[in-house]
Amino acid sequence: MIALWVVLGIVVVLLLIFVALYNGLVGMRNQCRNAWAQIDVQLKRRHDLIPNLVETVKGYMQHERQTLEAVTKARNIAQAASGSSVGERAKLEGELSSALARLMVVVERYPDLKANQNFLALQEELTSTENKISFSRQFFNDSVLKYNNKTQMFPSNAVAGMFNFKAEEFFEVKVAAEREAPKVSFT
Amino acid sequence: MWEQIRSNQVKSIILVVLMGVVLLALGYSLGLLFLGSPTAGLVIALVVWAIMNLIAYFQGDSILLSISGARKIGPDDHPRLYNVVEEMKIASGLEKMPDVYIIDDPALNAFATGRDANHASVAITSGLLQKLNRDELQGVIGHEMAHIKNRDVLLMSMLAVLLGTIVILAWYASRILLFSGAARGGSRRSSGGGGGGGQLIILAVAIVLMILAPIFAQLIYFAVSRRREYLADASSALYNRYPEGLASALEKLASSDTRVKAANQATAPMYTVNPLQKKGMAATSLTATHPPVAERIRILRAMGGASYRDYERAYAQMKQKHIVPPTALVGAAPVPLRAASPEEAVTEKVEHARDTSDLMWRLSNYRTIDCPCGARLRLPPNVKQITVSSIKCPHCGRVHAV
Amino acid sequence: MRCPVCHIDMMVVEYEKIELDHCLKCHGTWFDASELELLLATMGADRAGPALTLTPMTSTVEKGRRCPICRKKMDKATIGDEGKVLIDTCPRGDGLWIDGGELVHIVTELAKKSDGKLDATGIIAFLGSAFAAEGEDSEKS
Repeated sequence: MIALWVVLGIVVVLLLIFVALYNGLVGMRNQCRNAWAQIDVQLKRRHDLIPNLVETVKGYMQHERQTLEAVTKARNIAQAASGSSVGERAKLEGELSSALARLMVVVERYPDLKANQNFLALQEELTSTENKISFSRQFFNDSVLKYNNKTQMFPSNAVAGMFNFKAEEFFEVKVAAEREAPKVSFT
Repeated sequence: MWEQIRSNQVKSIILVVLMGVVLLALGYSLGLLFLGSPTAGLVIALVVWAIMNLIAYFQGDSILLSISGARKIGPDDHPRLYNVVEEMKIASGLEKMPDVYIIDDPALNAFATGRDANHASVAITSGLLQKLNRDELQGVIGHEMAHIKNRDVLLMSMLAVLLGTIVILAWYASRILLFSGAARGGSRRSSGGGGGGGQLIILAVAIVLMILAPIFAQLIYFAVSRRREYLADASSALYNRYPEGLASALEKLASSDTRVKAANQATAPMYTVNPLQKKGMAATSLTATHPPVAERIRILRAMGGASYRDYERAYAQMKQKHIVPPTALVGAAPVPLRAASPEEAVTEKVEHARDTSDLMWRLSNYRTIDCPCGARLRLPPNVKQITVSSIKCPHCGRVHAV
Repeated sequence: MRCPVCHIDMMVVEYEKIELDHCLKCHGTWFDASELELLLATMGADRAGPALTLTPMTSTVEKGRRCPICRKKMDKATIGDEGKVLIDTCPRGDGLWIDGGELVHIVTELAKKSDGKLDATGIIAFLGSAFAAEGEDSEKS
């Protein structure tokens, strides 16, 4: 008789662990999805800001038509790809970031523009949006790492396999001008 | 990051319980000493604690904010500050955007309040807002948001209430002892205890507790507070991938000694609950419990990366101790530092200072007159009492109607 | 900001993006430390450069003033090469107070001689320029 109760107890405990693991996976996957939605919001915001930026800057930078056109083109391509995969979007948004970075470098040569109140406000919005993209990407990738760990590590990988929890893709943006701490080598 | 909160929770609950035990021990012994009934002592201790809790709860956030002259701002009032708070909200993973307040004060300080993540606020003085560049502002706001994310505000206010109750009970007990000699007049009461000898032991224990309980509670409080400050530093470095931002901001703070003016006259429960906090502002303010700022700066600057493990390494190097709960270090990936943002030109610095002060004057109902000569005159709201008819521009002499 | 002399709210004058508090009654001026820093920065000072050089004055008949920010008693000092301008300085470094009379003195006498150099003379030049109309007022009366 006692043996039966013990077995029942073990089964109950196992069940609870199972449920906890399953819920953990669901929670993590949802966090990844929410984090992705946040990135999407910020990327859209950047798309919306750019036409206004180009308009404001055009009058002051008449000789920089190529740089401006590059920005507009990259923006349009990235916006059109809103439904694509994570990896594809990462590539296109990265190209947009590069084009914008080049534009901002050029802007440094136009002090009149830098004194324009409108432009300063837009620059703040752009800087902030870039930061928000960066932070939401950071948070998304951290969430994806934790989730992927759960789908691959024991014991949650057993539950993951059973219910088809698959590892997610990271949002890796390769930007030519992306800020990286300079690597110092003493050779 | 949720692992950090979880392990912190267990440890925090233990500390809260410990303080609670100290409080109950104090109540028990005082009840036994003065009233001959330990239960009565316990009841009184709990009643005082409940009252303090109510005061702190109802008056906590809003009083703290209004006493310090904080004004709530929206995204259009100060885009840079609001944006930075939003950025840190995203980086920390908070679900709801906290309310943002600016305090009209030249002192350099910032704090966060809010019992839970959904009712949180972040406040910063206009003095600090004008002095920091964007990287530094991100560091400071990141630090304050970490306090919200790690539920430090709730923990610290609970501990503060406990500490305050202990201090008040001990203080009153010592007054009674000194002025009424009640301990010797045991014959007045029907004390259940043994004869004079028993009464003396109770007296001795009570006195020991009266002296030690506040000290012990204070030690717990400050130890917890210091630890939370370091962890908030670590979190800010992780969110921003840039510990130098916060380090640089702390450096600016250290070199200026301006204290927050409201703290001198404050009567908010946060102060009366913890009379030991008269110098600092809210428990989450940047220099609340004075882990020495120089030390915090050095640790941040010794970090080789931005992860909790890097902070732990830098901290251990400096203090030969551990600070980050081990669950936060599990499975953590290495996190590289990002480079500094381009430095602001002087004109931009001035522009940002003006943005902040323009907002403060507007919020304080100062009237603005733009004189054609280029000077800008801002008149205090009560200007009519000073000069009824007109103002002369000090630069060009033009007369403007008031 | 309250005037340390008249104890009424002061007018704020923004000149060349620098803010100064100016009393409408006594014409005294408060130069906040952070604004002073901004001014020095725009004049090309580097962070490590010397701040204003002040010569403390201990014996003076002028009445003592309290700092409008920290309420501590301010010290007297003179600035400028010829030590002709008497000001009050906050012991905590919150800022400088220039009496109305001293301001007129600056505007009418010294501003004419300065050359925008990066020292007390430069500050004096700035003040003289910002409050150029104050001198005329007193001259007339």
